[in-house]
Amino acid sequence: MQYLLQLLISGLAIGAIYGLIAMGFAVIYKSTGLVNFAQGEMTMITAYIAWTISTTVSGNVVVVAFGAILAAILLGLVIERVVMRPMLGEPVFATVMVTIGLAVILRSAINFIWDAYPHGLDVGMGRDIVRLGGIGVRTGQIAVIATLLSLLAAIWAFFRYSKMGVAMRAVAADDRTALLMGISATRVHALAWAASSVIAGIGGVFFALSYDLSPAMFQLGLKAFPATILGGLDAVLGSGLGGLLIGITENLAGGYLGSGMKEIAGFAMIIVVLMIRPFGIFGERDIERV
Amino acid sequence: MRTGDYKQTYGELVALIDSPPVWLWSAVLMLALIAAPHVLNAYALTFLMIILITVTGALGLNILTGYTGLISLGHVGFLVTGAYAYAILVSKYHMPPLVGFLGAGLVPALASLVVGAPSLRLKGLYLAITTLAFSFIINTVILEMRWLTNGARGISVQRPEILGISFDSDAAFTYLCLGIATLTLLATLNIRRSRVGRAFVAIRDNDTAARVMGINLHAYKLLAFVTSALITGLAGALYGIYLSFVSVEGFPFLLSIEALAILIVGGLGSALGAVLGTVLIVLLPEATRLVFSLFSAQLDAVFTTGAQELKSMLYGLVIILFLRFQPRGLVGAWHDIRRAWVNWPLRY
Repeated sequence: MQYLLQLLISGLAIGAIYGLIAMGFAVIYKSTGLVNFAQGEMTMITAYIAWTISTTVSGNVVVVAFGAILAAILLGLVIERVVMRPMLGEPVFATVMVTIGLAVILRSAINFIWDAYPHGLDVGMGRDIVRLGGIGVRTGQIAVIATLLSLLAAIWAFFRYSKMGVAMRAVAADDRTALLMGISATRVHALAWAASSVIAGIGGVFFALSYDLSPAMFQLGLKAFPATILGGLDAVLGSGLGGLLIGITENLAGGYLGSGMKEIAGFAMIIVVLMIRPFGIFGERDIERV
Repeated sequence: MRTGDYKQTYGELVALIDSPPVWLWSAVLMLALIAAPHVLNAYALTFLMIILITVTGALGLNILTGYTGLISLGHVGFLVTGAYAYAILVSKYHMPPLVGFLGAGLVPALASLVVGAPSLRLKGLYLAITTLAFSFIINTVILEMRWLTNGARGISVQRPEILGISFDSDAAFTYLCLGIATLTLLATLNIRRSRVGRAFVAIRDNDTAARVMGINLHAYKLLAFVTSALITGLAGALYGIYLSFVSVEGFPFLLSIEALAILIVGGLGSALGAVLGTVLIVLLPEATRLVFSLFSAQLDAVFTTGAQELKSMLYGLVIILFLRFQPRGLVGAWHDIRRAWVNWPLRY
């Protein structure tokens, strides 16, 4: 029982990180209709920048958090302006391939700029262990779950009530009609990329806080895929919850079936889910005209 | 005066090669390729081998992604299955290499049924991600089935001897690759001009419309998966033999992306494009290295220390630039040049 609870809690914590990155995917998908295959790499860059700030400027939590968020916004905006905006109006397949190309470039750039050794992000907190009913939990793990939940609420409200949120949904549904209605698609896309970069970046920084930075971190993006797919690509809330579900499944599979199963539990799960619901658990079915 | 390239009969439309000059140049190219192993040095010959093996794999992916429009991000899964099937049959159970190649085709084809069948209801990106999941699952399966695959230790593979002919030397192995690549090219071209190929393209253009016109979507999508996996598996076996060692690390996820990059750079949905794209992508790092070394020794040094990173950055950059400026790929550029040549001095 103790073991099960331990697995569940650490599954929730890693799942919250997946959930944050998956929300990054979903925010971009919801407003631009694209899957951003460079999400894992963008997450990684934000985490590396946070680490650089913590070692060179100051290890203060506020400074690191502020710097990382600023860097993530900048990263999202630059990528949108330089790489994605010229592709506006091109077929989806071509644009998605551009993000794959971008992922390759970013990953090599990271290896080029930073070294290949693992680094721990130290901001003086987040690694202390709290006892909750006999189970050891790191404060960082509690913080990431709380962050995920509050961001979920905030984003739900944003898409539901704010004018910009509605505009984003309109652009995703049909960008030409949205343009005719006077919505600036470019501004919507820029906002989506910046927001997605920040949300996923927060996940990346939390990952660096609880585990370590390493060049293999881009795999977080691949791990968060199943979460996004599970929730449905266009469901931001679903992706966040999908992340938690994947994290728990993965940890239970790892704890009871062996480490090989841990690696693929998420992927096996989405194959099963997609067989039953081809658009994810919370995703909306596409209606096509011929 | 000739005003265009008109096809007047159905036979002309589906002809494999539609004009005498193309016949001539194909023959010249074939002769050059046959002579190449005796002319090129060992270093250049490696590139020729890689190009021929990669062409086979790219043509395999082209059937699925280029013709049928089903995006696969997990084709490396079929590549690694083919390589392992060959290695296990030939190195472990000492079967003749021909049986090995047969297995390298059939095992991925069976695996493709397993991944294809659940994917029939999926479209676009959802399908891409299922294939991605498949390639990760297959890697874990290979690592876990230690009794069959030696797990992470891998299996070493010898160059084969088929029907008494030894393919041990580089030149002989190049001929083997050349033979398989040529047969694959002919096979894909023939598939494209048959009823099956037209069904594939109809599914790519609009699957609902194709279904309304009486094309059995499930059967043809599965057929595309099986054909594609079979060819890719053969390429995997060749690549395994080329590496002389089959392991999961020898087939990284990047290969899937490289294969898609080849198709896009060449021109999606065209066999010629797959060939041109392969040549460009395989030679790109080498060409860049040459240009760098021409300019200065210092740049060359940077290139050797960060070679791997710069190489992959180039991949990414080339993919993005092609999608941005020449979405129809090298084949599109070639068509433009040809049209400009024929119509000169008129625009069209």
